[in-house]
Amino acid sequence: MTELRYRIIKPAPAQDAAPMLEVVGISHRYGAAEILRDIGFAIRPGEKVVLLGCNGSGKSTLLKILNGLIAPTAGQFHFQGEEITPLRLKAPALHRRFRSEVALLFQNPDAMLFNPSVFDEIAFGPRQMGLPNLDDRVRHWADLVGVSQHLARPPFSLSGGEKQKVCLAALLALEPKVLLLDEPTAALDPRSTGWLVDFLGGLDITTLTTTHNLSLAPELGSRALVLGEDHSLIHDGPIQALLTDMNLLAAANLVHTHRHRHGNIEHRHTHVHDWQ
Amino acid sequence: MHIPDGFISPQTYLPASAVAAGLWTYAARRVKRDLDADTLPFLAACTALSFVLMMVALPLPGGTTVHAAGIGLLAVSFGGWMAFLAISLVLAMQALLFGDGGITALPINALAMGFIGSFAALAAWKALGRWNQTIALFLAGWLSIALPALLVALALGVQPLIAHDAQGAPLFFPFGLAVTLPAVVLPHLLVGLAEGVLSVLGYRYLTRLRSRLA
Amino acid sequence: MQRDRIHLGLYLAGVLGATLIHAPAWLAAGLALVLLLSGRDAASLLRRAVLTVLAFNTLISLSYLGMAWWQDAFTQAPSPWLTLLRLNLRVLLLTCLTFLFIARTNLFQALDFSKSLTYVLGLAYSQTLTFSRAHDDFRLALASRSLTRPSLIDRYRASAAAISWFIEKSLHAATQSSQALRSRGFFHD
Repeated sequence: MTELRYRIIKPAPAQDAAPMLEVVGISHRYGAAEILRDIGFAIRPGEKVVLLGCNGSGKSTLLKILNGLIAPTAGQFHFQGEEITPLRLKAPALHRRFRSEVALLFQNPDAMLFNPSVFDEIAFGPRQMGLPNLDDRVRHWADLVGVSQHLARPPFSLSGGEKQKVCLAALLALEPKVLLLDEPTAALDPRSTGWLVDFLGGLDITTLTTTHNLSLAPELGSRALVLGEDHSLIHDGPIQALLTDMNLLAAANLVHTHRHRHGNIEHRHTHVHDWQ
Repeated sequence: MHIPDGFISPQTYLPASAVAAGLWTYAARRVKRDLDADTLPFLAACTALSFVLMMVALPLPGGTTVHAAGIGLLAVSFGGWMAFLAISLVLAMQALLFGDGGITALPINALAMGFIGSFAALAAWKALGRWNQTIALFLAGWLSIALPALLVALALGVQPLIAHDAQGAPLFFPFGLAVTLPAVVLPHLLVGLAEGVLSVLGYRYLTRLRSRLA
Repeated sequence: MQRDRIHLGLYLAGVLGATLIHAPAWLAAGLALVLLLSGRDAASLLRRAVLTVLAFNTLISLSYLGMAWWQDAFTQAPSPWLTLLRLNLRVLLLTCLTFLFIARTNLFQALDFSKSLTYVLGLAYSQTLTFSRAHDDFRLALASRSLTRPSLIDRYRASAAAISWFIEKSLHAATQSSQALRSRGFFHD
């Protein structure tokens, strides 16, 4: 059996440890459109961070920058003190280390799946690493996410939730240090969402998860980063404090106001609707 | 195969526009008759599909990539007129919405890729499809690239002959047929191979999907 | 006449004009006029146009110079430099004109004399934008998952997966939008 690196009990993140990910003054433009404005934060090893923002606030772009796939227009991103850009990743040694230690779960799982079977999909990473005991390894991760009955099937024939699990297993099979997740619950039904929250909570690994689903945010991490509609970072702090700050949430377009009727009394207040 | 603006003389693109406009009108009528209510969404879907197929890089051994266009696949699956309109719309979107490729090259490209490409593919499919589906599809894809490339090479290569100043200096595309024929056609014989494979595999996949949806 | 249709007419006339004049001075004047019309965007417009045509025009220009040198044409009457100046000015003028047209005109408004054409173009355009974003994701996902340069077979598989996805999505989109059209009564009026 493969060694189980992710245990269910995890130590508290060290407050004084050197940052795992560090973002310094990142701005990004696409043509005339501003996508990100002067973003800065650091994430320490083992932290579980949630990145909140409405649609179009630049969350996906930020994750792609943190995965070294896009070069930001301005600013720097460091992984374990090393600057990461697509250009610097052309160096094979850095590329190999970074790609095996920082994994990105795309919002659309279909974009990630191209191997002929679920088995090959999960084996794709370990094969490139030349890791031993391929069979055991694949089975281990397939068991952990619950797709071991589908190992022989082609990934495109699975349901949306199953595809997401295969993607997760494929990424975790590399045993990365950082997992970036882009709206991982957007395509999931409530039961799979619950499963995913528990599963991610049990991983002893640094995670940065984006969502526009406010009620789910506290389940996905303890610290929240919020991207405002002006594409700048308008909050960085404990998630509980955020949830009571209705003005900030309204500014980020994460809550809205509308009229309610209860019997024949009508009133108006700020309010969350989370839809899938 | 994209020709930017400024390489094709009005003596070429004006008559080509007239021919293309006539064919577009006729094609619109044909397609509407065959498909009625579903025509427009279907045409839009074919257009978007063809647009994105042109973006997908098909790797060749040796590290280079080529871009197929899906002309053969569209023609064989949805008919020549539908493919002609879809390819023309892709070219129009590229020229007038994305600023990629030229408006003066549009009629020539539409006639070459859209019209000649689609109907050459369809002819190969109709002639050989019953005998051997795979070979017919492959040939359809290959022809849908090779023949248009020949036509574009001819259109470019005649520019110095029909558009030059009093001293004989070319006003538009400056190379003759001796240059354009090998330079344009030869690489596309290779691109055609990728297009052929795309036609074979794409058609099989589409047929399976349609039988599942039906 | 509405504004966007006038723009379309002017643009087509401009294109025709730019291919009918051949004196480099007039082509340069045309380019100056287009840049003047684009006002504050002139610099970025010109930069984008140059970048767009750079590869193709450099190839053509260098080959032409090479051919002229080979044929010893530099000393003869129609100077190869003049030919190249004219050619590149014209290409730049037309490209700038097109970019200005794209920036200033709503093509869908300009074509609204045909309901069917605007509808097809609008639908195809929005689907194309969705597809381009998805195409980027397919490409980036393979890059993200690859520790070394992906092998030929993996790149084939990734392209095939993307193509199948696009085929399936377009079939679904076609079915869905024809249902939406029917429920809105598009085919009855």
